[in-house]
Amino acid sequence: MEPATQGVTFGSVVIEAILGVLTLLIVLGFVTYAIYFERKVIGWMQGRPGPNRVGPFGLLQTVADVLKLLIKEDTIPKKADRPLFILAPALTFVPAFTVLATIPYTSKWIPADLNVGLLYYVALSSISTMGILLGGWASNNKYALLGGMRSTAQMISYEVPLVISVVGVVLMSGSLNLSTIVEGQAGYFWNWNFLPQILGFGIFVIAAVSELNRTPFDLPEAESELVAGYHVEYSGFRFAFFMLSEYVYMYAIAGLTTVLFLGGWHAPFPFLDFIPGIIWFVLKFCLVIFTLYWLRATMPRIRIDQLMSLGWKVLLPLSLVNVFITAVVMEFMK
Amino acid sequence: MLDNILDFLTSAESLLFLVFAMVVISGAILMLSYTKVVHMVVALAFTFLGLAALYVMLDAEFVAFVQVLIYAGAVSILMIFGIMMTRHDKQEEEPRRPWHNGLLLGGSVALFGILFFAIQSANFESGTLDAGVDNTKAIGEQLFTRHVIPFELMSVLLTVTFIGAIILAKREED
Repeated sequence: MEPATQGVTFGSVVIEAILGVLTLLIVLGFVTYAIYFERKVIGWMQGRPGPNRVGPFGLLQTVADVLKLLIKEDTIPKKADRPLFILAPALTFVPAFTVLATIPYTSKWIPADLNVGLLYYVALSSISTMGILLGGWASNNKYALLGGMRSTAQMISYEVPLVISVVGVVLMSGSLNLSTIVEGQAGYFWNWNFLPQILGFGIFVIAAVSELNRTPFDLPEAESELVAGYHVEYSGFRFAFFMLSEYVYMYAIAGLTTVLFLGGWHAPFPFLDFIPGIIWFVLKFCLVIFTLYWLRATMPRIRIDQLMSLGWKVLLPLSLVNVFITAVVMEFMK
Repeated sequence: MLDNILDFLTSAESLLFLVFAMVVISGAILMLSYTKVVHMVVALAFTFLGLAALYVMLDAEFVAFVQVLIYAGAVSILMIFGIMMTRHDKQEEEPRRPWHNGLLLGGSVALFGILFFAIQSANFESGTLDAGVDNTKAIGEQLFTRHVIPFELMSVLLTVTFIGAIILAKREED
């Protein structure tokens, strides 16, 4: 691996910046159609057509929604803490976007082949939590504050089992580097980590859904009791930023699930290797995204006390047991 | 005497260092000068992030991201949570001291002069740092072989604090 900053020149900085903008455009395109398909898929599951008016098949619905948000009046409450109110959406979005840098799409296309890729993801995503908390606090509104507190409490409680459930995968591949983790899953589909690490995979998926604040764990946005959660006072493009970072995190979690548990760019059978790796990556990625929609259309919301006890009393001990079993089995298999 | 400064400013790596050093220092200064506690914590979080960036420049990725995870993430959020429980409309009021600013300015300029002179006249031995290919693994191996006793003692200490906090919270509940 190259040292991190040696060989940084003005030219390389410009190239990196251009690549960053390109990635941003790809992600924005993804978010636009992720929202469209979310509404479509949930619509079909609930026996209604979903958006179908703007553009052919309603394809431009999200574009219209975003345009509406961008031309809306940008309101800042008089009693709000102005600098923090402005800073909070950026503080939530920037880490959400930067974590995408370490996800390896194919064996060649790795934006940043970082030695500690997994740790990088976990570390940066904890900063977004601070953005959400500050957004709720700076609004100077009790519902926003409650929503922010709930969000943060939930994200912190579920980050612990999320990280510990991944330790099993790290033990098996002996590295925190995401591309090394994928290389360790080559061969048939039963070499992918989701089978040997079935317990870790289950915990990871549950904790990830909760990290994303999606149904059945969407308590921070429980509209019947909290109005809208931490972003009640936000409107216009600041609100769009919060929504955007939620969907970018969905992209990141789907990418991470693919890389850690579903074998990344590898084909399920070696004779299917003639199909390029990126297609396998995209297929698995879409499968994860679809599962998230499916869960949202199926499950009711759970109660706040059930949420906390599930996280601390079930998922955390199970993830510790998973680490222990993995370590013991690996010691015997050596 | 000032050639080295020009050299420094023409390399992109040093400019990056300068940017991150500025983030660290300005975060620290803002933390001292803000009057609202939450603003102070946010400034402090920026200092932590700047420090993490400096660690990355030194090829210590593991330390850098642990710094982000523990300090910029966990410690800052913990502090904000603590502050939220208190009244937040109160601001610190400084007593007026007219002499203060003049004295401060004199002191700072003198300190800067001394430091600048000392750094300019010091002779730094140049050499290349060999951080190793996988220094994260090296840290892990050191922790669990040579430094295993302090490491385990730390974990016992943390468990004790953890249980202590639970007992204190429980007692209040009864």
